[in-house]
Amino acid sequence: MHITVTEIEKSYATVSAVCGVSFTINTGEIFALLGPNGAGKSSIIRMLVGMTRPDRGTIVVTHQQAHYDHVPRRYLGYLPEDRGLYPDKSVEKNLLYLAQLHGLSKAQAQQEMDHWLAIFELTERRKEDLKQLSKGNQQKVQLIAAVIHKPALVILDEPFSGLDPINQEKVVEFLKTLRAKGMTVILSAHQMAMVEKLADRMLLMAKGQVVLAGTLMDIKQQAQPKPVVVIETQQAITAVQLATLLPDYTVSLQSEHRFSVALPTTAMLSTCLQTLLNEFTVQSVSMQNPDLHQLYLTAMSAHQQEEIA
Amino acid sequence: MISRQSLIVAKWEFLRFFKWKQQLISYVIMLGIMGAIFTWQYLVDESRDEYRIAVPAHFTIENTAQFQFQRPSVSIDEQLNQLMSSETWHAVVTEEDASIVVHTAAGKKWQQLLEQVLEQYFRQQYGLAQGLTPEQLLRLSEPVSLEMRFLDEDYKGDDRPEKGIALAVLFMLLIGLTTAFGQLLMSITGEKQQRVTEQLYAIVTPQQWIDGKVLGHSLSAMKAMFTTSLVMFVGILIAVLFLSDKPLPWHLINWGVIAWLVPFALLGILLCACFMAAIAASIDDPNTSGKGAVMMITWLPLLFTYLVIDSPTGWGMTVLSWLPITSFAAMPVRLAMVELAWWQPLLSLLLLVAMLYWMRRVAGRIFLRGMQMYGKEPSWADIMRWAMSRKTE
Repeated sequence: MHITVTEIEKSYATVSAVCGVSFTINTGEIFALLGPNGAGKSSIIRMLVGMTRPDRGTIVVTHQQAHYDHVPRRYLGYLPEDRGLYPDKSVEKNLLYLAQLHGLSKAQAQQEMDHWLAIFELTERRKEDLKQLSKGNQQKVQLIAAVIHKPALVILDEPFSGLDPINQEKVVEFLKTLRAKGMTVILSAHQMAMVEKLADRMLLMAKGQVVLAGTLMDIKQQAQPKPVVVIETQQAITAVQLATLLPDYTVSLQSEHRFSVALPTTAMLSTCLQTLLNEFTVQSVSMQNPDLHQLYLTAMSAHQQEEIA
Repeated sequence: MISRQSLIVAKWEFLRFFKWKQQLISYVIMLGIMGAIFTWQYLVDESRDEYRIAVPAHFTIENTAQFQFQRPSVSIDEQLNQLMSSETWHAVVTEEDASIVVHTAAGKKWQQLLEQVLEQYFRQQYGLAQGLTPEQLLRLSEPVSLEMRFLDEDYKGDDRPEKGIALAVLFMLLIGLTTAFGQLLMSITGEKQQRVTEQLYAIVTPQQWIDGKVLGHSLSAMKAMFTTSLVMFVGILIAVLFLSDKPLPWHLINWGVIAWLVPFALLGILLCACFMAAIAASIDDPNTSGKGAVMMITWLPLLFTYLVIDSPTGWGMTVLSWLPITSFAAMPVRLAMVELAWWQPLLSLLLLVAMLYWMRRVAGRIFLRGMQMYGKEPSWADIMRWAMSRKTE
C-alpha cells in the first residue's frame, strides 16, 4: 500500500491542527510520525483512516492498482490513541468479535487469535475478562485486535504508551514482525529510542507543520546538530573549572573524570583540547553521534526560535 | 439489506446482556412470587369456611352454604359470653329497637357476606309485611337487566376478552420498550466511555453499527416480551390448575390478533430503538445528561393509546392507528376491539415500514457524529442539523 499526502490542511474551530503537510509512505515500510502533544499527528491519522476529511490538499492511497482518498476499512488495522475494548468480556470474546467484524470466519479468527496470543504470552489468560488484565496486557490485546485480520496497513497511535520497558521492547519486535510479513506500518510515538530502532522513515512535526522528514540519516543531515566530543581526564575535574576553562562551549559534566563538549564547529576541537591540555592530562577523546532524541530536541528548539523570530 | 457486519453486531449486542443463568433464576423468582401470591390468597380465603350465627328465635332466615343460622335457647348475655369464650358462635344477631345488631369478636372479611345475606332477608321480610306476593319479591331482588346495544357491527364491545388482550398488548410493549431503553442507553454510553468507538469506526460503517445495535436490542426486547408473557401464562396456568376449579381460559387467546401483533410490535420496537440509539449517541455521561429522559418519548404512543382504549372506534384511536409513529401500539389494540378490513392493518404496517426506513437513516446520521463527540454534548440544534444532513459516512 502506497500513500501520497499532498499539502493537507485541517482546522477545528479556531485551531489550525495541520498546515500544508506533505509526505509519502511506501509499501512495507515503518513510517513514524513524531512530535509533541498538539503537533497534529492524531489529526493526520484520523484523515488517513477516513474519520475526518482534509479541508485542503489530497490523500491518495494506492493498493492493488486502485486509488482511494483514505485507507479503506478492509485493508486497515487501527489502534487509536483514545482506545478501549469491552472490559466485562473475555480476551477471547473481544478478539473473536473484532476479527469476525473484520470479515474473518470463526475458524480463521480462532486460528489467528491463537497465533498472536501465543506470541504475546497471553494464551493462558484468554478466558479472563479484559478488566482482570494489567494495563500492559490490555494494550497487547488491543495490538492483536488491530492486526488479527492481516491488514495491508496498520496505523498505531502511541503504541508504546503505558508500557514498561520490557513490554516496549516486545512491541518493537511485534512491529518488526509486521514489517517482515509485508505490512505497511504507520505509528506515532514519543519514545524516540523505540522509533530509532524501528522506523524506516519519519516525519517530525510541530504545531501542525513538518519540521524534519526522511530517514534517520536524512534527518541528521537536515538537523545539522553541533558536533559533540566526550573527553576523559586523568585528574578529577569540577563544573566550575570547566566553565572557567571553556567559557565559549556548552559543557556537560558526566562524572569526575568525564564530560562532553558541544563544539560550534568541528574545527574548534583543537583549540578546546589545547586549552585543556595546559591544565589536565587527557586520557581519551571520542566523537558522540547524536541520537534521535537529541536531533528531535535540536529541531524543536530551532523551530521555536524560528517562530519567535 | 442488512449486512453481515450488522448481523455480527446484532448477535454481540443481543448476547451482551443475556446471562441465561441469571435470567433463569429471575424467572423462577417471578414464578415463585406469583405462586406465593396465589397460595396466600387461597390460604386466607374465608369464603370456603362455614360460620355459625346465633339469631333470635323468630327469625325464619334459611341456612346458606356458608352460614348456619341457629336459634339458641340461652339468654343473649350467655350467647355473647359463648361468643367470646369459645367457638360456639362466630356471630350473634340481636334486635335493638328498630335496628339489627351483629356481634362478633373482631372485624373480618366474611362479615361483608353475612351483611349481604341479612340485608336480603330483611328486605324480603319488609316486602312480606307490605303484602307483596312471592313473585313481586323475587322481581325486586333480581338485578336490573341493562344491556348496551351497539349499532356499529364492527365494534366487538368493551366487555369482551379482546379488551384484556389489548391491555396485555400495551403492557408487553411497555416491557419491550423499557428493556430496549435500558440496554441501549447502557450499551452506547458505555462504549463511548470505554473508548471502543474509534476502533469500531475503523471496522464498520456507522450505519452498519447502528443497524446491528438496533436489531440486537430489539430482539432482546422481543425476548423480554415473549418470556414475560410465557412466565405469566405459566403462572396463571398453575394457579388455575391447582388452586381453582375453573377451566383454562383458552378462549381469551385471539390468534388473529396475535398474528398481527408480532409484526407491529417488532417494527414498533425497531422504530423506537432507532430513535433511542440516536439520542443515546449524543449523551456523553448518562449520570448528568438530561437527554436520557427524551428517550422516554417512545412510551407516549402507549400512553396515548391507553387513554383512548375505551373508544376504539373514535377519531383518537383511528388517528393513532394510522400515524406511523404510534400505529405499532394503537393498531393491534384497535384490531383486538374492532373488526377491520384486512387492508387496513396491512397499509398501516407498510406505512410503519416506510417510517422505520426513514428513522433508520436519520438515526445513522446522528449516530455518526454523536459517537465521535467526547467530553461535551451536542446541542439540539446540532442534532437537528445532523438529522437533516445527507452525510452517512
